[in-house]
Amino acid sequence: MEYVVQTTNLSKRFGKESAVIGLDMKIRKGEIYGFLGPNGAGKTTTIRMLLGLMKASSGTIQIFEKDLNKEKINILKRVGSLVENPSYYPHLTAYENLEALRKILGVPKTRIHEVLEIVRLTEVANKKVKGFSLGMKQRLGIAASLLNSPELLILDEPTNGLDPSGIIEIRNLIKQLPAETGMTILISSHLLTEIDQMATTVGIVTKGKMIYQDSIESLRMYAQQKVLLKVSDSEQAWRSLLGNGIKADWEDGIILLSEHSDGKVAKAIHTLVHEGYSIYRVEEEKRSLEDIFLQMTTREKVI
Amino acid sequence: MIGKLLRADFLKIKRKGLWFLSFLGPFGVIALQMVNYGVRKDYLLNQSDDDWGYFLEYVHSFTPLALVLGIAILTSFMASIENETNAWKQLISLPVSKMSVYLSKFMVLGSLLFVSSLLLGVFSLGYGILLNLGDQIPYLELLKYSFYPYLAALPILALQLWIASVSQNQGIPITTGVLGVIFAYSAFILPDWMIWKWPSLMNEWDEPLINVMLGIGVGTLLYIVGMLDFTRRDVK
Amino acid sequence: MVSILQSEWFKFRHSKIMFIILTVPIIGIFLGFTSRFSNEDFEINEWYLSLLSMNLTYALLFLPLITGVLASAICRYEHQAGGWKQLLALPVTRGRVFIAKYVLLIVLVLVMQVLFFVAVYIVGMIKGFTDPFPMVIVWKSLVGGWVATLPLIALQLWMSILFKSFAAPFAINVILTLPTILVVNSERFSSFYPWAQPFLMMYIGGETGDTFYVPWVQLLTVVGGSFILFFVGGYLYFQRKAV
Repeated sequence: MEYVVQTTNLSKRFGKESAVIGLDMKIRKGEIYGFLGPNGAGKTTTIRMLLGLMKASSGTIQIFEKDLNKEKINILKRVGSLVENPSYYPHLTAYENLEALRKILGVPKTRIHEVLEIVRLTEVANKKVKGFSLGMKQRLGIAASLLNSPELLILDEPTNGLDPSGIIEIRNLIKQLPAETGMTILISSHLLTEIDQMATTVGIVTKGKMIYQDSIESLRMYAQQKVLLKVSDSEQAWRSLLGNGIKADWEDGIILLSEHSDGKVAKAIHTLVHEGYSIYRVEEEKRSLEDIFLQMTTREKVI
Repeated sequence: MIGKLLRADFLKIKRKGLWFLSFLGPFGVIALQMVNYGVRKDYLLNQSDDDWGYFLEYVHSFTPLALVLGIAILTSFMASIENETNAWKQLISLPVSKMSVYLSKFMVLGSLLFVSSLLLGVFSLGYGILLNLGDQIPYLELLKYSFYPYLAALPILALQLWIASVSQNQGIPITTGVLGVIFAYSAFILPDWMIWKWPSLMNEWDEPLINVMLGIGVGTLLYIVGMLDFTRRDVK
Repeated sequence: MVSILQSEWFKFRHSKIMFIILTVPIIGIFLGFTSRFSNEDFEINEWYLSLLSMNLTYALLFLPLITGVLASAICRYEHQAGGWKQLLALPVTRGRVFIAKYVLLIVLVLVMQVLFFVAVYIVGMIKGFTDPFPMVIVWKSLVGGWVATLPLIALQLWMSILFKSFAAPFAINVILTLPTILVVNSERFSSFYPWAQPFLMMYIGGETGDTFYVPWVQLLTVVGGSFILFFVGGYLYFQRKAV
């Protein structure tokens, strides 16, 4: 399997403190990889290492199946990034800021207009960035990251400081990019809803460790959890379910079915009806992704 | 790669007044002599038979100070352009090596100071002619007094750039600059090995060329040490 | 007012700018050991020559330059990450914030003056001076240098509030300080140039009839006048500064 990004046992220590511990990240081509974790979990440190801004204390990083340590410049030619707060030169205009980067990247000048158009900053292209709002600066940062038409785009909290319409815009933009250009995107956030709406794959990190890494669908599977049954004489009913080999829990007079495929639920109901219990309610307990995320990151182990 | 970086760096110093300061340095040095000669021209011309030489000596008494402080100011400006919004991270994540990023900064500063030195020569010549110091214009001396101090100050440039580019707090390189100018001002009692003495072109053998050679040699060495340290560090 | 001062002191204490103050004894000791005069030929107090040469470089260049660095340093943490707006959103007046910063600066400069003369004393002790330490002269020179720096600090604070970077106010400071080297050669000009006043008021070879080596008139007009100009200028600028 071809991975665009693959880290093996990646770790970073600052003195005694470990910011990232044994992180294995795998991103396939064309994915939108949502890198999720609470603030201070080690997301930005990981991203800094991916960009060669920081050296890893141990472990390896492969991008485009090349070793970052050996072929940093060839790799970076194909990467665009926006790390934390956008960097810019306040005394230069938006156009000049991009021009300063373009000179180094060596892409045609028309590309500046293209990226300005993409982030809708064309009208203020000749204004100094000093006077920009936070959202405009953020969009300028995204424009800068797109300047070299990267194959891998790394965005660290890109919707920070944007207003709702800006967030939707950036989200739509990010969703389009892989479809149109085959771009692979790594996007970090501390908000699950953010990732939920864009990502195809999710990596959850907390306290420097990767605790979950799989497709967004698999994560959603956790969301449909248990089927609740409210029945007459519940404790007895529960025992008879167990007697019939159906897995269930009993809590506060409610039966919880842990296997919740349609067939299993039907079988349980059938059994109870057959044995003469009255069934008042059959409900599905939906846990929100937020609950799962919170539970994962606070318990610090895979469910 | 270095050509691209240089073009980008020259674009970034736009509107920051660095070119203006590069002009102001040599202009200020000559302006002080304008005041000096303006107030007591007759007295000064009576002090020596070699009026040009005497004039250049006077000019040169300020050159090292202006150079040391100018270097501190320009390097700190250069670093603060990247520091202000932490643009280092954006710059370093471009497909360029950290070494060439550092080299480009050094070369931009070197060019600015070169222009300053050139202007110093031009201004000295112009004001000298205006003062009517004689037809025997010592072009060679003029060149020496303009460019020797610059070359002898390369280690200071390398040191200041190193400190400025790794310091989050620009108070550190500026303070180093203040200490440097005190050393430069006390040049005639400093031991020969102190780099801040070299722009004064004084040494125990009375041979300015030694300072120039030392400047280039030690400057290169300090440059390499600074560059290696810069590449070794994590970008915050 | 007291609480703003306490807060300023707290911020200063926790920033790593103590090192700027520590350069003072370093420079003091450096100047002491590279003292240019030898007193073998003279029949006067050994301390005088030491003071004469040390005060020269210190007051001419070091003091005016380093106070500027200090002024920028205590504004640095306000310029970073929007410290000004946080500070001014508190129930304080801008005027008081300006005064608190200024008071902190002048106290620090007084400390620097004391440290410098401690360095002078230490150098003298190491060199084995046996003459009595001229307390009165040192005292006058210490306070005089401090008073003469007060207007410069006001301007430096103004410039440090105006510019975000260290380099810009420092450049202005350098442009105003360097000419002093030439200016002090002329009695006529030096008495009017504010940047020459620290040197003149620390120049112990000056007119001994005057309390602070310069006439009171000069002290009041040049030092006092420039102080009012720079302090009021900075104060008014800060009132209007958009943060």
